[in-house]
Amino acid sequence: MPAEGNVPASPRSGGNAATAAMPKWVATVALLLPTYAWLTLAIFLPLCAMFAFSFLSATPMGNEQVSFTLQQYAVFQTQPYMIEVAIWSLMIAVATTLGCAILGFLAALALARAGLGRSRQILLILIVLPFWTNQLIRIFSWTMVLRSGGFLDSVLHFFWAGAPSIGFLYTRPAIVLGLIHGYLPYMVLTCYIALIAIDDEIIEAAMSLGARWWTILFKVLVPMAMPGLVSGCVLIFVPVIGAFMEPRILGGPVGVTLGTVIEDQFTQAFNWPLGSALSFIMLAVVLAIFATFSGVLRRNASA
Amino acid sequence: MKTAGRIYLAFIIFFLYLPIAVMIMMGFNRSPFYQLPFQFTLHWYSVLRDNTQLITAGWNSVFVAVATTIIATTLGTMAAVALSRSTFRGRNVLRILLLPPIAIPWLITGTAMLVLFYWTGIGRGFHAMLIGHVALAIPYVVLVVGTGLQTIQTDLEEAAMSLGSTPLHAFFSVTLPLLYPSIVGAGLFAFAVSLDQFVISYFLATPGFTTLPVQIYSAIRKGFEPDINAISTILLLSSMALFLIFAIFVRPGGKVDKR
Amino acid sequence: MTNVEVKTVAKHYGGTPVLTDITCHFAEGSFTSLLGPSGSGKTTLLRIIAGFVAPDHGNVAIGGKDVTHTPVRARNIGMVFQSYALFPHMNVNQNVGFGLARRGIRGSAARDKIARALEMVRLPDFGARSPKQLSGGQRQRVALARAIVTEPTVLLLDEPLSALDRRLRQEMQVELVRIQRESGLTTIFVTHDQEEALSLSDRVAILDRGEIIQSGRPAEVYERPRTRFAAEFLGDSNFMSGTVRDRTIVLEDGQRIATGFDLPSDGEHATVAVRPEKMTIIGGHDPASDGENQLSARVTNVIYAGPALTYTLQGVDGTTLKVFAQNRDGRPRETGETVTLVWKAADTVPIEA
Repeated sequence: MPAEGNVPASPRSGGNAATAAMPKWVATVALLLPTYAWLTLAIFLPLCAMFAFSFLSATPMGNEQVSFTLQQYAVFQTQPYMIEVAIWSLMIAVATTLGCAILGFLAALALARAGLGRSRQILLILIVLPFWTNQLIRIFSWTMVLRSGGFLDSVLHFFWAGAPSIGFLYTRPAIVLGLIHGYLPYMVLTCYIALIAIDDEIIEAAMSLGARWWTILFKVLVPMAMPGLVSGCVLIFVPVIGAFMEPRILGGPVGVTLGTVIEDQFTQAFNWPLGSALSFIMLAVVLAIFATFSGVLRRNASA
Repeated sequence: MKTAGRIYLAFIIFFLYLPIAVMIMMGFNRSPFYQLPFQFTLHWYSVLRDNTQLITAGWNSVFVAVATTIIATTLGTMAAVALSRSTFRGRNVLRILLLPPIAIPWLITGTAMLVLFYWTGIGRGFHAMLIGHVALAIPYVVLVVGTGLQTIQTDLEEAAMSLGSTPLHAFFSVTLPLLYPSIVGAGLFAFAVSLDQFVISYFLATPGFTTLPVQIYSAIRKGFEPDINAISTILLLSSMALFLIFAIFVRPGGKVDKR
Repeated sequence: MTNVEVKTVAKHYGGTPVLTDITCHFAEGSFTSLLGPSGSGKTTLLRIIAGFVAPDHGNVAIGGKDVTHTPVRARNIGMVFQSYALFPHMNVNQNVGFGLARRGIRGSAARDKIARALEMVRLPDFGARSPKQLSGGQRQRVALARAIVTEPTVLLLDEPLSALDRRLRQEMQVELVRIQRESGLTTIFVTHDQEEALSLSDRVAILDRGEIIQSGRPAEVYERPRTRFAAEFLGDSNFMSGTVRDRTIVLEDGQRIATGFDLPSDGEHATVAVRPEKMTIIGGHDPASDGENQLSARVTNVIYAGPALTYTLQGVDGTTLKVFAQNRDGRPRETGETVTLVWKAADTVPIEA
């Protein structure tokens, strides 16, 4: 019998003996590197570049004289109308989020509690399905419903020939309506996941204690679904604050928001430093929102 | 209460599908000014056939989506395997770094890409869009494949190794065949993400290379005819079909007995 | 002849030690149970032998060859997992043939071996089935066939019976012993079920907090536990402590306990363990005969389970005692009755506290 069995082994620092041929970390790094290199090129470096751009005095194109400045971040002082734009953007985002919260929570509640049995899955897919189609096309489709003389008016005039037009395309309510339509499935999904986890017995227990339906709704269901509700609100508020295509198409002349102003800086005005600064202010708001609600979001993601 | 719930759900579904239905219907309506009453025609679809701009943009969209699917599915699957099959410090940080492409508004990431790509000379066009689309699709792939990996117990790989497999052989003979539905699902997901992507494409498009959503957007802003409805209908229905296939492949709870 | 040898093996996870300085041998053809509570390190030890976990230091030898740095695939082991780990995308034949193919055995040679292995586990006609079509016990048998078909040097079983219900588990225990005898494979069996360990194996090693507390033949370990943990984890025990005087133990209340074993020198503290089934209950107080111990106690609880009775009693000094009795001698004792416990000095085992 060979004596090698008695040779004391050199101490090893953990790891897996199964991959003695190649250290395990080499494989791990090789698997991860392409993805994170790609994300660095496509996401992280661009954000850095944009951050740098936001301190330039003008877009470095042609023979433009460029210097470093903080002037872009003072835009809310130098151009006071931007304050109004920001306020309208926030109000649109808040209205959209609130609308989604109310409509979505109730839809999730109906879905989870209306005793639908197996058709529940199909209804859920039906609600989520439009969400997977092109947002641009869905927004575009509203123009055909809302314009004066559009589908809405046609239906009204079919019943009441002399009625005035009720089409409200190119108004802020139209923007909010389109955005709610676009993001409602998010809220239904997050609330549904939270509500479906509530045991029937909890509601039966509340009923056995003499609770009325509104007590059950506001003291049991809403508090227990709160994580889903909050997640849904964050997941909707963040993209809506950055929306530019929706206000452009549904708002027309009144659809000026932070998003469309940023878009203009990059595609029309060619004031990239200003656009970068505005983007970064928006990014700061987004990160602050995520930081505030990270606890709820993480708990909801792991549930 | 139950009846009220059902009526409400019917209303929500009506709300979600009304504009889509109107849009599709108008693509089959004779009036170029979207006037009712409805008169059926296939005219706009034959007009569409001659609209080389839209057709080219459509094929561009498909090219970008196919390339995105191949790259994002490969890279994302690799990353998902590393993230779920080995433990190392900083793994959670890497997981969090997958969020920005999804969580930061695309307006910000899109304009940021425009700035960097202009600055470094990478420029715009197909390759730039591909860089952006893959970055957006990778997190979804990691998520879908990672979830699939969780349902495959690690002791299956260990069993293969105890029977004489190398770790690589164990992965290819045991894990990969079981992971296959998740990978196909992730690929469909990546394809759909790319096909529907508008914002990033919009900032990275050149006059010579646009995708369908970008072309539709500029048509909406400049004036259009119902052939836009026709192409939109086609794009809409293909996305829906993709989602339904995805739902079949990655059925939640469909892998419970996988042991 | 020693087949598997573990030498001074230690393993830490983070800062917590899981195994500290383990040395043990597994003889050719033996069936050894590694018995311990969860967290005792028994599974880690098995996984170190298998090669899934690398020890911080120490050596593992299988079949006389040092395999400490050999990958799992080259150790020629057979392993059965707690979840069976059958490949769900392969049928039974493909599952059992997996290891053979890895060893270059294919075609008719492989088919013969697979058929023989399936016959051994009494599933001869199940080759074409998918694992999904099998019951728990059948999956277990296939997993076993897959592990033994390659004629491994050692068979490693990681709590393979814990997922089965009680009746099926007993059936599989009998099967396991038969298959082990027939194949003659050196077998290492991890379990937390003490009855299983006692009835299946010809050697038992008790682990606690990363150390082997005691090992030996099942009867040896059961009859002569060396520590309080061994006495408590393997079966039930009554403990009595006192001071040593004249080769007996004097309890606090003055009663003397005799033992058939060596005790520490006079004046030192000592503890003895007595199995509950070794004690008998008598009514009055007889003078103690030679080689016998007596203790009076009061019955505090009686659990009546048909053929057997479990008494809980309280000694004079307040210690709780347990007695298992056959339901044979007329009327069971009543709660509150004062009785006398009688047992042999030979059943009184001194232990390390």
